[in-house]
Amino acid sequence: MSDALLLFDLLLALAVVAIAAAALLVRDAFAMIVLFVVFGLLSALAWVRLAAPDVALAEAAIGTGLTGALLLKTLHHLRARGMAGWQPGAVAQRPVPRAVAWLNAGLALAVMAGLGVAILGSPLRVTGLEIAVAEAMPLSGVENPVTAVLLNFRAYDTLMEVVVLLSAVIVVWQIERGAGPAPAPSLGPVWQGFARLTLPAAALVGVYVLWAGAEAPGGAFQGGAMLAAIGLMMLLTGLYRPHPDHRGLARLLFVLGTVAFAATALLVAGGGRASFEYPPSYAKTLILLIEALVTISIAVTLTALFHGREPVALKGDLRHDP
Amino acid sequence: MTGPDWLTLSIILPLFGAVAAFILPRAAAGLGLTTVAATTLCVLMMADQVAALGAVTVPLGGWGAPLGIELRADGLSVAMLALTGMVGLLVSVSAIDAFAGDRTARQRQYFWPLWLLLLSGLNGVYLGTDLFNLYVMIEIIALAAVGLTVLGGTREALRAGLDYVYASILGALLFLLGVGLIYLQLGRLDFAGVIAAPPSAAMTAALAVMFVGLALKTALFPLHVWLPAAHANAAAPASALLSGLVVKGALYIVLRLAGYMPALTEDILTLIGLMGAGAVIWGGIQALRAERLKLLVAWSTVAQIGLIFVALARAGERGLSDSWKAAALLILAHGIAKAAMFLAAGRIKDEIGHDRIRDLDRSPIRPTLAQVTFALAAISLIGLPPSLGFIGKWQLMEGAMMAGYWHWVAITMIGTLFSVAYFSRVLAGFLRFDRVRGGPLAEHHGWSGADAAPLILASAAVLLGLAAGPIIAFIDLGAGGAMP
Amino acid sequence: MTPDLIYGAAGLAVFGIGLWGAIALQDRMRRLLGLKLCSVGAGFVLIVGAWREPPAAPDPMPHALVITGIVVMLSATAAALALIRRLHDLEDADDRP
Repeated sequence: MSDALLLFDLLLALAVVAIAAAALLVRDAFAMIVLFVVFGLLSALAWVRLAAPDVALAEAAIGTGLTGALLLKTLHHLRARGMAGWQPGAVAQRPVPRAVAWLNAGLALAVMAGLGVAILGSPLRVTGLEIAVAEAMPLSGVENPVTAVLLNFRAYDTLMEVVVLLSAVIVVWQIERGAGPAPAPSLGPVWQGFARLTLPAAALVGVYVLWAGAEAPGGAFQGGAMLAAIGLMMLLTGLYRPHPDHRGLARLLFVLGTVAFAATALLVAGGGRASFEYPPSYAKTLILLIEALVTISIAVTLTALFHGREPVALKGDLRHDP
Repeated sequence: MTGPDWLTLSIILPLFGAVAAFILPRAAAGLGLTTVAATTLCVLMMADQVAALGAVTVPLGGWGAPLGIELRADGLSVAMLALTGMVGLLVSVSAIDAFAGDRTARQRQYFWPLWLLLLSGLNGVYLGTDLFNLYVMIEIIALAAVGLTVLGGTREALRAGLDYVYASILGALLFLLGVGLIYLQLGRLDFAGVIAAPPSAAMTAALAVMFVGLALKTALFPLHVWLPAAHANAAAPASALLSGLVVKGALYIVLRLAGYMPALTEDILTLIGLMGAGAVIWGGIQALRAERLKLLVAWSTVAQIGLIFVALARAGERGLSDSWKAAALLILAHGIAKAAMFLAAGRIKDEIGHDRIRDLDRSPIRPTLAQVTFALAAISLIGLPPSLGFIGKWQLMEGAMMAGYWHWVAITMIGTLFSVAYFSRVLAGFLRFDRVRGGPLAEHHGWSGADAAPLILASAAVLLGLAAGPIIAFIDLGAGGAMP
Repeated sequence: MTPDLIYGAAGLAVFGIGLWGAIALQDRMRRLLGLKLCSVGAGFVLIVGAWREPPAAPDPMPHALVITGIVVMLSATAAALALIRRLHDLEDADDRP
């Protein structure tokens, strides 16, 4: 390995740590979010260096892109509601004494240093599960090992992950029920035209990423995130306005992935097969089917998480409904 | 494996129920109750299997650990599932009454999907044998529990809910960091791999990080600060689920991992015991000072969780071969009794119109059945015979005395005295009639069907002590493969 | 020195910074950002665990776990942000006469 690359790794690692600290310390909330996005993208770059392109794609699209959009939306909301000069710390519950803050910092530092020493002082480089994965790949029905883990070997985990997303949207709808119409952030007419032009292309990319997931980096979550980005654009440009009548359909789309995934898991069982045990000859078909439906659910759910409030008809002031 | 896969069903059935209740909000209550009943039936069938076979393992996807994920049911898992099913069923029955009417239509609409997601997550934890899968499950539990905490939508509930979110996510992330460190050491995440791991400083560090995360989630002193407000400000059925069931999820993982910890020295156990002792004393003091009934009950949860850790820690040099049973009994006893007590406290608050402890004896309205329920639950939580709480405490103290750990006996006694003192504050208010203001006594007010479910739960907490022998024998089933 | 050591240390440092932010800061959004940093730090640890000296291919298992972790964290973040928004509205309404 060349020294130049090692130097690059060192600088990148330093930048990641420094920007993480800066994001927490910078005073302006908008700058905080910008720094966070930079941090996320640099982390994704580091993960590419560690030979994890699938994860880097997911972190960039979901962990950084969508999280950043959510943070911006919330900041917009807080600033639009009354507190025009909203400053970091303005909504603090009670001030933390300086001594306590330092104590916390020391504590966090000590814990991490202790962990570092404990880990470095013991043998690293055990063999993980790569051999077991490689041996089982021919039976998995897909060619990309990460997709095989996500949708076959550990399909149960992935089902539950889709359930976590579903739980999140239910919780968000529950929390913001009866809230007044949100001060929706919006983009101007220029963007609207731009969106009309680019959205079909973006949709194609999303579908491609999903399809490519069977062989190359990509898959349901990254594809879903791409499609969700389209959803965000449509919300922001006003091309789509959530309407109370759409709630039933939205609910159906939220649960589609969960239901298809769980039902398949149960239906393939029997005749000596366990739950989630796809017959090898149908594995590819089943996985692609599940992935497609899960992608739709993920895209719609992520878009709904960005929109927040359940689109209900507001009759007068419902802000205090019990 | 023989017969149908009750393990997977008990996790996926509530999932389908949650989906159905979410899509069809008008039918949510009926769908919810049916699902909880059907899931409990699954657990009973599973109990039958476990009683016959000792332990049941399902290799999901047919891969087997460590490549795939396995579900495993043994005596302890089934006991926790049964606790969840029983408490869940009765809380569901009382929730139908608590959320009836137009005023709570939206609460009702969201209570059922959230509670069923919670049920799925809890069942998944009790059957899980894979560390990363446990992380995903505790996140489902966390999200659903937060949703239930803020169901009422008041400012206090939302504030408590936000603190709960921070604590809950941080706990889960510490757990995840520990999972990452363990993968770095072992290259696998199934329980069997962790059991077989040779002791090392790195393994101890990883397990310690996970323990801190779980302690935060189960609110072990001094990481308990989020709990009292969250549990006290939720709607009554939600409080019952949060205090009775949710904190048990992380507690159960601690119990499992404690058995696996390769280098669990007496020093570490003593430290855990000291945290428990701190909880017993601090929780007791705060419960004595609480002005509201629900806050008192919430602080008593902090104290009782501390006692469970004391039970675990009293093992000392002999390892956890025996002390985990005392902890498990206390978990079961607390789950049943605390759910009953929160439901009763909610009924009392509804009937009287407030839950200020000092004014309880001034109320002309006496919701008798709810008060009886509260008293019965208190009997089990204090640990009077023949309740399940008594058997748990007895196991704790007997073991501690045999090992010569008189300090743990003393802590248990102090905790018992505290609980007598703080519950007496409430019970005295129920029994005094000389300070009643505002008209004649309406003593029979509140004899409604809504009191039946909590009363059954509280009675069970007291009477199950009589069946302690079979319960202890049952939780021991299949433990050989899991508990060293 | 190898990339896994460098990024492993960076990951632990990021987790530590996030931990400090989550427990020591007061601003609600900033505490949440601290938690997000923790999750990225834990992701680093898992991905380092998957790395093998080239030309050996990495272990795909931790990669799948981190992808799951990313989605889970986004879900938790969305719920927390909804709480922050709603709470802000309620407190804002109370502040007004």
